[in-house]
Amino acid sequence: MAEELSQNDVSIERKSFGSEAPVTGQTKLQAAWSKSDDSEETSAQVASNQKGQIFEQIYRPWEGKLNPRWMRNWSILRHHILGIVKKGHRPWNIPTKLFIFFVIIASMTDVAMALLFGMIGEPTLYGIWGVNRDNLYGHVMGFFPRNILYYPIVAALLVGGMISEDRSHGTSAMYFSRPINRFDYATMKFLSVAIILMIIINGTLSIYYFVDILVMGKGWAWIIDTFPIFMATFLCGLILSFTYTSIGLSLSSISRGRFFPAIGLIAILMGTKAMASIIDTLFNKSVLYVISPYDSVAHVCQALIGTEMTYQHPWVWSLISITIINGLALYLLANRVSSLEVTRE
Amino acid sequence: MLRVYLMVRELIIQSTGLTKAYGSHIALDSLDIKIEHGSTGLLGPNGAGKSTFLKTILGLIQLTSGEGEVLGFDIRTQGPQIRQKIGYMPEYDALNPGMEAIHQVRYSGELIGMNPNVALQRAHQALEYVGLGEQRYRQVSTFSTGMKQATKLACALIHDPALIIADEPSNGLDAQSREFMLNTLETTVNHGQRSVLMASHLMDDVERVCENIVLLHKGKLAAQGKIEDLKAIDKEVEIHVWGSAGKLEEIMRDNGMKVRREGRIMRVGHKGDTTYNEILEAALKAGSQIRRMHDHEATLEDLFLVIMERLGHEAKGSEDLLGDL
Repeated sequence: MAEELSQNDVSIERKSFGSEAPVTGQTKLQAAWSKSDDSEETSAQVASNQKGQIFEQIYRPWEGKLNPRWMRNWSILRHHILGIVKKGHRPWNIPTKLFIFFVIIASMTDVAMALLFGMIGEPTLYGIWGVNRDNLYGHVMGFFPRNILYYPIVAALLVGGMISEDRSHGTSAMYFSRPINRFDYATMKFLSVAIILMIIINGTLSIYYFVDILVMGKGWAWIIDTFPIFMATFLCGLILSFTYTSIGLSLSSISRGRFFPAIGLIAILMGTKAMASIIDTLFNKSVLYVISPYDSVAHVCQALIGTEMTYQHPWVWSLISITIINGLALYLLANRVSSLEVTRE
Repeated sequence: MLRVYLMVRELIIQSTGLTKAYGSHIALDSLDIKIEHGSTGLLGPNGAGKSTFLKTILGLIQLTSGEGEVLGFDIRTQGPQIRQKIGYMPEYDALNPGMEAIHQVRYSGELIGMNPNVALQRAHQALEYVGLGEQRYRQVSTFSTGMKQATKLACALIHDPALIIADEPSNGLDAQSREFMLNTLETTVNHGQRSVLMASHLMDDVERVCENIVLLHKGKLAAQGKIEDLKAIDKEVEIHVWGSAGKLEEIMRDNGMKVRREGRIMRVGHKGDTTYNEILEAALKAGSQIRRMHDHEATLEDLFLVIMERLGHEAKGSEDLLGDL
């Protein structure tokens, strides 16, 4: 359309001041910038453009086929997960992306050390870093640095704005005015966070285990011996990811910003552990660890993997504690997600 | 063309005895609504039940009693199917500020069930249609209010819905953006042959875009139908009087005429073709001069106020009664 504006459409006002021009007392400057001496207009109009239609609004119908429910849910999942690595999906901020990258690398220090000492043939040091029951447990449930600096902080960064920002930005309306029900919404949000955590925790655990097998040439007997331990540790990774996600998302669902859920999650994880630790130190009673999500998961994992127990109370209490903590968190999540509005927030 | 013909005659929303109660509070009270294909304005004072009605037709809340259909789907049991056929444009912000407009619109298409590649292609078309073709790769956070509204409309239009629900589409827009938004909705109805249900507190906007209105009041249906037909209910003759205006008003009232007066300008209820003669005779009796007499063309604002007056509200303008949905 733009090319339709031809030269003819532009009318140019020509002014000539040759010798034949009548003497009016008007200077060239005045002629250019002012209509007359008393005019206050300070802009010259030497050419005027006729208005052209350069935007044509045409409604284009679409008669394609819409995909079923699972495909809509998949789109929510990929929107959140792919946002970590790809533009055009959920915009995770740079610190979150960098920290996830850092944690993935840092979580594989045991892989690097086991490889290093295995390949240079240093059996003592390889024994410290290689795959065994305690090291598998430590890869997932080790408190420092993994469960104080890595996994809880990643979980906090992920869950922070997951639901709270839908509330504050009003994007919940985008989901619920479409054929997305609240169960699918909450489930896909949950899975998005849990899968990213599982990629970090269980992914690096799997790399640790299988790299050791491949590089060190472990035999079938070793694999048969250790595979159940690996699977138990894998299950622990799932429980840990699930627990951090459920607590974090429930906090996200009750707030309108990402700061409170993030700080809240870390405060719950660290605060309960610190309190239980103080009581344990003062009174030699480990039972208060049941209020600590991390310790409850750790206790159950010690039982599952078969490492030395570091708590005196029965591990079943911790299992009950995890069940109650997750149950409460999921109840809160479901309750708050059902209150998300479509017409206004 | 056949499709267009059929849709013109189609009822897109119909309900019978639609009732929704929250405990003892009845939000929607036995609504019998019929909305035809085309453009319809949804009006009502605060607390009239507009939001509840919108949620009901989106199939999001369970009814207490009654039944209804939207685009042929049952609102009790077929909510997801209804929401696949509807494009909903919320009043408030519903966009992720960190996303580019193109991806925001594409994602909203994916949530409907479109393939990612198809949704991306269609997002380009939708943004072009709402006038954001050149800005589609800009982040939503950098957009003006008008551009955000346009993006929301693009999100609603991406899957070419049969019905677009626009909740306060011109809210907070400057004159130019408002004009463009209303033009776009008009084009969607007139050229796209789609239906628009527009909830707005701006009477001029509703009158400009919509042929029909549905007026809710305290959860009940106060009026519904074509705006032109409803205006005819309250036709008036406007006269400009010179001298003895008070006396003229008194005589006309005594003659059983309905008079509204503001200074020398009076509006007299139109009862038939005899009204003009009755006014002139009354003026003769009162010794007044009628300097101008013409049928008063009521606006939707007038119509709204008249209906509200009949329902027991006193208001000088629709702003007193309408507000946030």
